[in-house]
Amino acid sequence: MNLNYSDEQNMLRDQVLKFCETNYDFTDREKILDSDVGYSPDNWKQFAELGWLAVPFSEDNGGFNFGPIELTVMFEEFGKSLVVEPYLSSVVMSGTILENSNYAAKQELLESIIAGEQHVSVAYAEANIGYNFLDCVTTLDGQGNELTLNGSKTIVLNATNSSQFIVLAKHADSLALVLINKDTSGLEIQNFKTLDGQTCGELTFENLSLTADAVIASGEEAIALFNQMIEVATLCISAEAVGAMTASYQKTVQYTKEREQFSQPISNFQVLQHRMVDMFIETEITKSLLIKATLQLDSNDSEATKTISALKVQVGKAGKFIGQQAVQLHGGMGVSNEMSIGHYLKRFTVIDSMFGNTQHHINKYSTL
Amino acid sequence: MDISFSEQDLQFQEEIRSGLINDFPAHVREKQQKGESLSKSDMIDFHKFLYEKNWAGYNWPVEFGGTGWSPVQIYLFLNELAAAQCPTILPFGLSMVGPVIYTFGNQEQKDRFLPDILQFNTWWCQGYSEPGSGSDLASLKTKAVLDGDHYIVNGAKTWTTLAQNADWIFCLVRTETTQKKQEGISFLLIDMNTPGIEVKPIITIDGDHEVNTVFFTDVKVPADQLIGEEGKGWTYAKFLLAHERFGIAGVPVCKVQVAKLKEKTAAYKDADLNKKIAELEIDLMALEFTELRTLAAIAKGGHPGAESSILKIRGTEIQQRISELFVEAAGQYILPYEGPEGFESNKNPAGPDYASTSVAHYLNFRKTSIYGGSNEIQKNIIAKAILGV
Repeated sequence: MNLNYSDEQNMLRDQVLKFCETNYDFTDREKILDSDVGYSPDNWKQFAELGWLAVPFSEDNGGFNFGPIELTVMFEEFGKSLVVEPYLSSVVMSGTILENSNYAAKQELLESIIAGEQHVSVAYAEANIGYNFLDCVTTLDGQGNELTLNGSKTIVLNATNSSQFIVLAKHADSLALVLINKDTSGLEIQNFKTLDGQTCGELTFENLSLTADAVIASGEEAIALFNQMIEVATLCISAEAVGAMTASYQKTVQYTKEREQFSQPISNFQVLQHRMVDMFIETEITKSLLIKATLQLDSNDSEATKTISALKVQVGKAGKFIGQQAVQLHGGMGVSNEMSIGHYLKRFTVIDSMFGNTQHHINKYSTL
Repeated sequence: MDISFSEQDLQFQEEIRSGLINDFPAHVREKQQKGESLSKSDMIDFHKFLYEKNWAGYNWPVEFGGTGWSPVQIYLFLNELAAAQCPTILPFGLSMVGPVIYTFGNQEQKDRFLPDILQFNTWWCQGYSEPGSGSDLASLKTKAVLDGDHYIVNGAKTWTTLAQNADWIFCLVRTETTQKKQEGISFLLIDMNTPGIEVKPIITIDGDHEVNTVFFTDVKVPADQLIGEEGKGWTYAKFLLAHERFGIAGVPVCKVQVAKLKEKTAAYKDADLNKKIAELEIDLMALEFTELRTLAAIAKGGHPGAESSILKIRGTEIQQRISELFVEAAGQYILPYEGPEGFESNKNPAGPDYASTSVAHYLNFRKTSIYGGSNEIQKNIIAKAILGV
């Protein structure tokens, strides 16, 4: 039993922290979100130069051979500053599927992701299946080099910037993961802003023709790759939530020390002190489950799936509580869009909604 | 980072487990399994068993007769004890006054008191709270005046757990009236058989006699029973509170309780109850790992400060929630109440077998968020020490 981060992991944390302190105050972030692409290509270039885009990949694929621990370290720091660069969709989601697949063209693809040359998004959600992503309606028909894709996907993160998509589709009584280019005929893309200012898209496939080399995986392999990706992605946004929780309670403590009412800092009031203690405790409790889930995933523990569901439940509940109370203790300023604090609440709301919300994971936990 | 226990730790765990299977007194085990309350002699038998296994000083250094176990070993030990349905080890001697004596006492005091604490030849109780001093402990008024080679003690201590069984009491007493109320406090050991001590029961809302008020009227206490220096009692008391309070969260017992709750209610197929149990399990899992994080920090040489307040708050909240769920699951069958004397009729009333004990436990466990520094006081500690407000 050793719960200490290694020197290397601590250095990575410091590096991300320093980057965010220098490049990512709230006004910087606002400007980035207002831009056409909704993220900063300059930042993305720096991510590539710093080697961050290579973090989870094996050395064979041009990566650092790091794993869940390093990813959560980075995401915790991202969460503190509400970083919007599409690390989750390109590196974590697409990257995890490709890295673990037997896809022939994966190396070339991963190299371009690591170099920051292109974005790839995973298309998994649909209109009428809720969180049961494997029950998808989008279908890949045919065989060999005569494949046809029909259907539609929604909430495809960063779709507007992605040059390729990994699509989960029903195929021959099972499932398949296929890679499609954004310029393929038969693909239509509608872009939307997310509630926290990021971007997502809806993809519609109409008799979209594909050849065999588009199939990343099929059958049991596709399902295993997909489930693994969802677990890693859930872990990452949970780490992001822990970072956002830390920032939320710390900003709230700071604000109540500065804000004076009734001729004294409002942090003198015990009811506010205890509320902030509750926010702190929820943060620490969430961090505990995060570390447990991270280490279990890192060691391929069979209990990891259950712990990740537990983590997602705690992230949902604690994020809601901390986000709401941070707004409450900021008073009117808390609901002002100009203050950062309300944007944490938006991010908590987004995070709870992704990859299964609190209720979904309570039910899932009960069945495991 | 690595989540697994070492080979040695797993071997240690196995030794504890088989030691419990082979030697844990059968009559105590039987009562524990039935949920019956233990007598004074049962408790003494249990603690003597720990001593005979060389486990009594589980959190003491080797030089004072302890095991010298690592934090991980202590954690595993307490887990195994709970899993085998052992009673909770009484903290007053082994976790409270013992460490104060071996840290601040003189050689004579160590020789005189420590072996009896380990062997459970003496039953200790704690004289901290007073009728007028609860959360504001330092306002205590029980007075000790030095008269030659004796202190004369007058005053009252209250909420004294199991004082009716105790041979000795360790007390915070006021030896001087100072401007700063913390400064005039001293730490005194008092034989419960000394003339002038009267123990008066307090019956709690579950009908049980667990706590007492202890009155002191001109009690003569030999001056060599003062620990450390006069006026430094508050420092020792704080040491005691901040002392590595293993198991403060009560996780191992909670795990056993939740397993029992699931077993007893599985047949109901009550989706609403099952959802609450799932949420409880998740919170317990998070608490257990929080405790492990604290443990890891201690193993690295750190001291759990205000963080142990998290364990106290969360642990007691979860303990209380478990007790509430048992009552909820039992429904109307909690009404026929089995007091400390048993049911009036010889026949057990209808309803699940856990109904009566669960409601007694529920009422009794309201104490957990109040004792040991109420949860509100714990929040004050975190606010001040960690948040800096």
